[in-house]
Amino acid sequence: MDSVFFYRNNIKAASRSGALQKIKIALQPNISVAGWPTEAGSNALAGFKALENATVAEHAVKAGAQLIGYTRMSEFGFGLKNSMAGSALQKKAADVELVLDLAGEARLAALRAGVCGFKPSYGLVSRFGLAGLIPSMEAISILSMNIKNIRGILQAVAGADERDSSMPEEKTPDLKPTKIDPKKTTLGVIKENLSEMPAKERESFDRKLNEFKKAGFSVKELPFPNFSQFLAVHQIVGSVEASSCAGRYDSVRYGKREPQAKNWNEMYLSSRGAAFGTLLKSYLIQGAYFQFESYAAYENACRLRARLVAQMKNLTAQADFIIIPAVNQAASENPATLAETYTQFIYTVFANVTGQPVLFLPDKSGAGFQFTAARLGDGQLLSLGEYLQGGGEK
Amino acid sequence: MEFEAVIGLEIHIELNCATKLFCDCPNNPGDEPNVNTCPVCLWFPGASPRLSRAALEKAALLCLGLNAEIQPVSAFDQKVYYYPDLPKGYQLSQAHLPLSRGGWIDITDEDGSAKRLRIHHIHMEEDVAKLVHEMEGRKPVSLVDFNRAGAPLVEIVTEPDFRTPHHAMEFLKALRAQVRNVGSSECSMENGTMRADANISIRTKGTSQMNTKVEVKNMNSVRHVGDAIAYEISRQSAAAQAGEKIVLHTRLWDPEKKVTTPMRAKFEGPCVPDPCVPVIKLSKKEIEELRARLPEMPADRAKRFVNQYGLSAEEASYLSADAEVAVYFENLIKEGVAPRAAMHWLTTQLMPAAKDRNQELSQAKVTPARLAALLKMLARDEINANAAREVLAHLFASDASPEEIVSAKGFKQVSDRGEIDSLIDKVLADQPGAVADFKNGQGKALGFLIGQAMQASGGKANPKVIREILTKKLEAFCKA
Repeated sequence: MDSVFFYRNNIKAASRSGALQKIKIALQPNISVAGWPTEAGSNALAGFKALENATVAEHAVKAGAQLIGYTRMSEFGFGLKNSMAGSALQKKAADVELVLDLAGEARLAALRAGVCGFKPSYGLVSRFGLAGLIPSMEAISILSMNIKNIRGILQAVAGADERDSSMPEEKTPDLKPTKIDPKKTTLGVIKENLSEMPAKERESFDRKLNEFKKAGFSVKELPFPNFSQFLAVHQIVGSVEASSCAGRYDSVRYGKREPQAKNWNEMYLSSRGAAFGTLLKSYLIQGAYFQFESYAAYENACRLRARLVAQMKNLTAQADFIIIPAVNQAASENPATLAETYTQFIYTVFANVTGQPVLFLPDKSGAGFQFTAARLGDGQLLSLGEYLQGGGEK
Repeated sequence: MEFEAVIGLEIHIELNCATKLFCDCPNNPGDEPNVNTCPVCLWFPGASPRLSRAALEKAALLCLGLNAEIQPVSAFDQKVYYYPDLPKGYQLSQAHLPLSRGGWIDITDEDGSAKRLRIHHIHMEEDVAKLVHEMEGRKPVSLVDFNRAGAPLVEIVTEPDFRTPHHAMEFLKALRAQVRNVGSSECSMENGTMRADANISIRTKGTSQMNTKVEVKNMNSVRHVGDAIAYEISRQSAAAQAGEKIVLHTRLWDPEKKVTTPMRAKFEGPCVPDPCVPVIKLSKKEIEELRARLPEMPADRAKRFVNQYGLSAEEASYLSADAEVAVYFENLIKEGVAPRAAMHWLTTQLMPAAKDRNQELSQAKVTPARLAALLKMLARDEINANAAREVLAHLFASDASPEEIVSAKGFKQVSDRGEIDSLIDKVLADQPGAVADFKNGQGKALGFLIGQAMQASGGKANPKVIREILTKKLEAFCKA
């Protein structure tokens, strides 16, 4: 049994041509590929084979990429339990991995594997064919050793898709590389992130900021007193959306149906009981709780979300890029409960709530950093990454 | 203690769109089970809903036809509950931001006065799948047909302006006519393309307080709606008189026993804004363009019929309610038929005849052109009314023109005065008794003699000419 791969595509592709002809892609099994076991890491989809390609897969193949298989993933991509995202890159079995980012999973997987991770702006990449969980926050993200690959994939798969009407109507931004001149570039850092950090992390972070200053970047401290609210907003809104999104897994039309139920209601309860793992069940029950018992709290979370989005927009107008830590050192090594799972993501959920792009770059210190820009600033953000890695436009 | 009823209606109407609300599957519920499905309306993993522009426009036209105000921003919510006919565990509906607000339908009350029944809002939603319960040997099974899942509906929620069963029945009849006129739905309660539920409460006459209401469902015709409301009003009044408390619940109308019985209420779920269907934005320009596409509505058409054709308000209202009838009527006039003749023959002869033969007016074999040709022959006295009625029946049976039928069947009216004159002389000679009666002042004898003359002519003589000549001759006899 392969510890990294859930499914391997052994069909040799016909001669490939296109911008991605040298690229081997490992996907998570929540991205539909016709005929593959698109089970999304869940018992709810045991035995399910996708009927057609997700738009992302379709574009990648058209550009000449080879889809080599499905990696093992957490249930529907929530949290990192059982996720082997990043391992295919480490083993050099693939050049690129596509990993879903609901709360920061793709970015933390990149950190764990010591590779680059990129979460595109929400809506830039079609979600058609993604067996997702949180429709307004999820983004298919790209992991790779080098940024050139990430940009190549993004250019091939980004853009309007008539099959996904939830993509916002903005024009697809230009994703061509641009020159970064540090002297003309401002990096923002959130004051509250700094003040909340434990001493050791603060030291390491300050060292990094000094490196940037030495390279010629201006570094600016930006206030964001409500930054910590991102977590609660994500927990409430995310669980509500997840509860509805997972409502379709009732074993009526596909999935595993528990036998010997006395009536339809028992069939639902027993099949759904068997379909989901404990962590995901907790999340879905939490979402149902807010829907049925505490709707006012959900409404408040939505209002807060709008406010946080506006405040973040304000910040991204004041600096070209913002640098944010990735790791919460206080988080549990092996989170089991919902609360423990979320504490890993205190620095990453903001981007799922606002829909802005994030580039994770690994660091010798092991902590790594997130860089973010305004929504649809994906092209420039990748240029910063290329610059920092020593590549980029000269 | 005298009670008055406070009633509101919730009406679901199936739009006659070619495809479903969120996917391109054909909207044909009557097809073989589960042939009109796709990963979207079956809600497979990875499915993404796409709102049909055609459905949005049909719904908007329906709203405009009911005088409602289209909202510039509306959105879909998830009505969360679970049942096997609901593939994703929520129904996409518009709970918070409906497509339109306001609107009304005017009816005539039982005392002849005009009454306006207001609409609170109209929203779009998708239909659920159809459940069929069968026996597999001894085991009861339920089968799910997803052809209907995702079909486009609108729900019309009225204000509680209704007070009587008459209000509800007239409202539904007018609603049906107006929506059919717009062309957005066939609105047939028999076929299930229009379904009505009623919310009924009572209060002491003269007060304005709103009391606990009871919801009544399963009323499958306009008649049933009237009967059920009447029953429920008396049931609640009796309960109130006996000091019993009215509790909020749902009841089903039983058309056999003619009573309402309580049913286990369907679990009411919350409505959460849907993150997948984009918010619907309609600009002023788009709304005006839709309004320009609205066909002439019955109320305006009735006014025009009064002014243009000199019909009475009642006649105009009757002819203008149904678009099919109105179009046929005006086509007859275009072909040269006088308005009153057109109205008379359309309503008393053609419509019943078409209905008997199960033909839609617009598809009837007897086109306006053919009927007009017949009526023009009648106007020229070439045939009499009896003959015309018989020719009409033949027009249904064959493709021949009225002229061909008249000559083939010998319906041509005899108007030749000479012929009629001699015919009458013979009748007068054969009926001395009737002539004497007439001389003695019995006016009825004239009618009798006319009848005799018609009979003698084999029904072919022009009755006007008979009457004219006969009257002259009889008067001459009296003078003699």
